[in-house]
Amino acid sequence: MSSDVTEKKGVLAVFKYLDDTCEALKKIKGRPECRQYEVYAPASYHELIEVAEEKMGTSQVRWFTLVGCLSGVTSGFGMCLLADYDWPIIVGGKLPGIYSLPAYVIFGFELMILFGAIATILGMLVMGRLPNPKNHVFDSRLSDDHFAIFIPNMDRDSEVAQVLKTCGACEVKSV
Amino acid sequence: MSEVIWDKTVSDVNDGILIGVNKPNLSFYFALTISVTCLLIGAVAWGYQIAFGMGIAGLNSPVYWGVYITNFVFWVGIGHAGTLISAILFLFRAKWRNSINRSAEAMTVFAVITAGLFPLIHVGRIWFAPYWMAPIPNTNNLWVNFRSPLIWDVFAISTYLTVSLLFWYMGLVPDIASMRDRSHGFKKILFNFMSFGWVGSLRQWHHYEAGYAFLAALATPLVLSVHSIVSWDFAMSVQPGWHTTIFPPYFVAGAILSGCAMVYTIVLPLRHMFQMEGFIRKEHLESLIKLTLLTSTIVFYAYSIEFFVAWYSGNEYEWAVFQKRAFGPYAFYFWVMVFCNCLFPLAFWSRRVRQSYVLCFIICVLINVGMWFERYNIIISSLVEDFLPGSWGHYEPALVEMLITVGSFGWFFTWLLIFCRFFPIVSMSELKLIMPKPLNPTKKPHGEV
Repeated sequence: MSSDVTEKKGVLAVFKYLDDTCEALKKIKGRPECRQYEVYAPASYHELIEVAEEKMGTSQVRWFTLVGCLSGVTSGFGMCLLADYDWPIIVGGKLPGIYSLPAYVIFGFELMILFGAIATILGMLVMGRLPNPKNHVFDSRLSDDHFAIFIPNMDRDSEVAQVLKTCGACEVKSV
Repeated sequence: MSEVIWDKTVSDVNDGILIGVNKPNLSFYFALTISVTCLLIGAVAWGYQIAFGMGIAGLNSPVYWGVYITNFVFWVGIGHAGTLISAILFLFRAKWRNSINRSAEAMTVFAVITAGLFPLIHVGRIWFAPYWMAPIPNTNNLWVNFRSPLIWDVFAISTYLTVSLLFWYMGLVPDIASMRDRSHGFKKILFNFMSFGWVGSLRQWHHYEAGYAFLAALATPLVLSVHSIVSWDFAMSVQPGWHTTIFPPYFVAGAILSGCAMVYTIVLPLRHMFQMEGFIRKEHLESLIKLTLLTSTIVFYAYSIEFFVAWYSGNEYEWAVFQKRAFGPYAFYFWVMVFCNCLFPLAFWSRRVRQSYVLCFIICVLINVGMWFERYNIIISSLVEDFLPGSWGHYEPALVEMLITVGSFGWFFTWLLIFCRFFPIVSMSELKLIMPKPLNPTKKPHGEV
């Protein structure tokens, strides 16, 4: 999938209907000149994600979540154990003290969730290439009720642009 | 859920919801005025308590946890339905949650913030709190006691607030981008900053969906853990009436019941104030009522089992506390709790009642009253009489405590209403997913994409 940043020039086909967008996407996605396409939608319609599946793959956000959770659980237990080590409670002369692991499960669990959630948000942002205040919004309708396919380095008179129009694009423009 | 009959299309969502946000009707200002008034009453009462000391509150030996800790547990409980609706119902693919999840998440965030005020109010001279709590480790090189349920609670509630905030804000990002695309000048720059420059590309949606699912998966055990940990504040002690293993599931069920009832209590008026009748449909509200009924029956079962366990345990102190709860000096609170949480919600078995906004609203308010009294009952009836008759006492809330309680409702509703005035109370991007898909009518009127 191409970058969201639209420094490049290209052609933007705006669609009113979801099925038209899917059909257009199916027709153009195999073409060598359309490898860098990007699709815009007002909501996360799974139909579109399924059509573009081979481009998308499985989201890598899961690795962020996993690393966050593991570091959280380690930090939770580590924090309590370090405090024990720093101020040992000696019972019956047994050193280095009491490590109340069942009680520390709570800290391991809570920090696992906390770090995991923060890392997930970071993953969503990093993988979605956010924050990016310079992102150019092609058309204000795209966050409302319209869909769009953007193909960089393409002319509006090209064959691909014609295909997009045939599939039901309500507007095909150079951007 | 019965099939929703939509009289709006996806194209109406942004227009309808954002116009409602910008032009609330007069009842919004009326509600805001009442909320701010309550907030001011509470602020004055707190100022009075700070000026004259904790002696003017009803707290005494042996009841050191009175209305303030009741309020703390009550507000944490209220916060639970938000994440239940957002996370658990998301994982179960319950589509109806898409129309009310934003209100529920906002409710969660503000309810947990409200709950967080009460330990501060309860310490009395609040300016000493940071003095004694910092630094860690303290000057004797002592760490906090990680074996104490109170510090577990600090971690649980802080994590819950943070995760709820993140969940809520990430849900808002696409909607803020929609608002940006309709704004000009400074507002546009601000909304672009707040939405991180979101453009709604498939790449962004793909990772957003994955992240949202992971957040939901993380938030689900969190919901269950937080009120379990709150219950351990009580259950880990040896106090009769508190020291029981049923507390965690009992508290979680109660929290979800009060949260669902509170969501209904706030969504129904907000729906009217912001003209959202076309988006929050009666079928969605009915589903919420069914969830309330379900949790009410679980709570009913928990109350019964709690009594059974007290009797069956053979522990005479435990049984004495329970008998006194039902027939002793605090029996009024107990029966309010039973009627409001267990008996009145049984009316929801009737479809006619479920479809009556007025009746549902009244019963949901009563459930909130009942859930408040449940916490009051648990805390007070156990604390007044422990093992030693010589240390028995009595507790009645003082006026200042009641006024601060009123103030907490004012604080909660003021923030909630301010939020609703500036941001959509229905998640626009998620609502579009449960509405009829925008398909080309000339192609396949009823076909698949």
